[in-house]
Amino acid sequence: MYQEESDGLSSTACGEFEIKLSLLAAGELESPESEEMQKHIQSCEGCRTAFQQESEVLALLASHRSEPDANFLASCRAELFDSLDQQEERSWLRRLTGSFLPASWLAPQPAWSAAFLLIIGFAVGLFGPRLLRHNPSAVASNQNSGVVLSAVQPVDSTSDSGLSNSAISSLDLHRADVAGINVLPAGDNQPPQVQLQLNLQQPMTVSGTVDNDNVKHMLIHVLQDSQRNDPDVRLDAIDLLRIRNNDPEVRSALCRAVHTDHNAAVRLKAVEALDGAEPQNQVRQTLLDALVDDQNPGVRVEAINELRDMAAKGEVDSDDHLLAVLRELIKKDPSVYIRLQSAAVIRDLGPRQKF
Amino acid sequence: MGMSVALDSDARLAAAAKVQEEHGLVRTAQAGDRLAFEELVRRYDREVLRLALNLVHRAEDARDIYQEAFMRVYKNLHRFRFECSFYTWLYRIVTNVALDHLRRRTSRKEDQAPVPEDSESTTRDFFDRQPEARAAANPERNLLGQELGEHIATALNRLSPRERMVFEMKHYQGLKLRAIGDMLGTSEETVKNSLFRATRKLRASLECMR
Repeated sequence: MYQEESDGLSSTACGEFEIKLSLLAAGELESPESEEMQKHIQSCEGCRTAFQQESEVLALLASHRSEPDANFLASCRAELFDSLDQQEERSWLRRLTGSFLPASWLAPQPAWSAAFLLIIGFAVGLFGPRLLRHNPSAVASNQNSGVVLSAVQPVDSTSDSGLSNSAISSLDLHRADVAGINVLPAGDNQPPQVQLQLNLQQPMTVSGTVDNDNVKHMLIHVLQDSQRNDPDVRLDAIDLLRIRNNDPEVRSALCRAVHTDHNAAVRLKAVEALDGAEPQNQVRQTLLDALVDDQNPGVRVEAINELRDMAAKGEVDSDDHLLAVLRELIKKDPSVYIRLQSAAVIRDLGPRQKF
Repeated sequence: MGMSVALDSDARLAAAAKVQEEHGLVRTAQAGDRLAFEELVRRYDREVLRLALNLVHRAEDARDIYQEAFMRVYKNLHRFRFECSFYTWLYRIVTNVALDHLRRRTSRKEDQAPVPEDSESTTRDFFDRQPEARAAANPERNLLGQELGEHIATALNRLSPRERMVFEMKHYQGLKLRAIGDMLGTSEETVKNSLFRATRKLRASLECMR
């Protein structure tokens, strides 16, 4: 039961009803008792005053409460999800080391375990370098061509296609956030090595060259999924894809990025990456769409520059639609530069074109 | 009468469906699906953060409670056996973390000292923030609000961690005393007494402010 305390409050309520007053104010008094209490409050001035005081205190406290704002909540969430990432990474490492060093055996026998660890260390130090010298192709073959999926287990890929399609497709790419893309330059006109760091249940790295179709598909996936992948990562993907801009899938992905990506820098880079891509009609239409629809002046400037280059090289077929768009730009585009360049494109298309 | 029975029955069915759906989500999270876990976090984390913020009154402490509580939930999710609602189980963890925090703070002398001002609004005591929004409009009211805030902070500091927790959960999280008892691992009677003591102390401390 409740023990009386000396808290400095001289309550006006009747002793036997005091606790019930608190319960009534808290909405915790059930039906018959609640009505009895209400009746008592009406007839007893002391309890009525005490009940009123209690309600006023609750109202006062309620007026000074704090609500977490959206930014604070978002930052707490982000921090938590980062900690979860680290936790998952640590537990994976623990599992990996646990499979080599059975804790149930090592823990109760410290002397034996120390000796065992010493032997392992000695053996690795002695034979490791020799093994590596004897089998240089094991590392080289992974780096030269194809794709290597690492983190859980490095996959030896000596074939041209690298990691098999089935291994790559077994990854749930649609759920894989790409945390970052590293590019390792290669000499002698070789395509650079690409490393895609995936945030899966177990963080993994997929590496290979852009010539590899699996890498190409992953880069296209990165570019298309603007919800999951940061603009920086999408920009890196475009940088790598541009050397294959004549590949139909790459070209379509770049055109789609120009049309749909939320980020202006990504759209601008995608326009740049279309430079030299064929067939020109698809590229030309994408550039015109950007000129008409894109709100960002930088993207429109890049589009008109590229269109002008194509016109100067004679790579653009003139037709009514193209001319109509250009004339509209001359009249209405807010940028003087774009208006002038549009006129220049019409001029480049041929002396017979009229403004 | 017939209509209200039908409505009650509909509400019960909807509640049961909600519990089923949530248990499905918990099972998926238990199987290692990170997105399912994140969905569970999103469902309850605002309430958890609100509880923490109003218990400790400092954004950085509230953040610590939030982090520690959800990390414990994550590590122990496999132990959840569906014997109670996920919400109750979650709140058991949250209240334990928050009570530990309050007890640690009570036992640390430095916490009694005034909190240094910080440029980040999120790291300041929430009572300090209260009058600021109105400061330009009415400086006098601002001063009064600040005084009142200090009085309330002092009054709340007089409560024991458990009294404070019970008071918060009852009056501001809207939980029934029985549910609070379940979450705190104690009887409804004990919770009732804690609530009464808390209310009595607060009335005594704030008598002059009414």
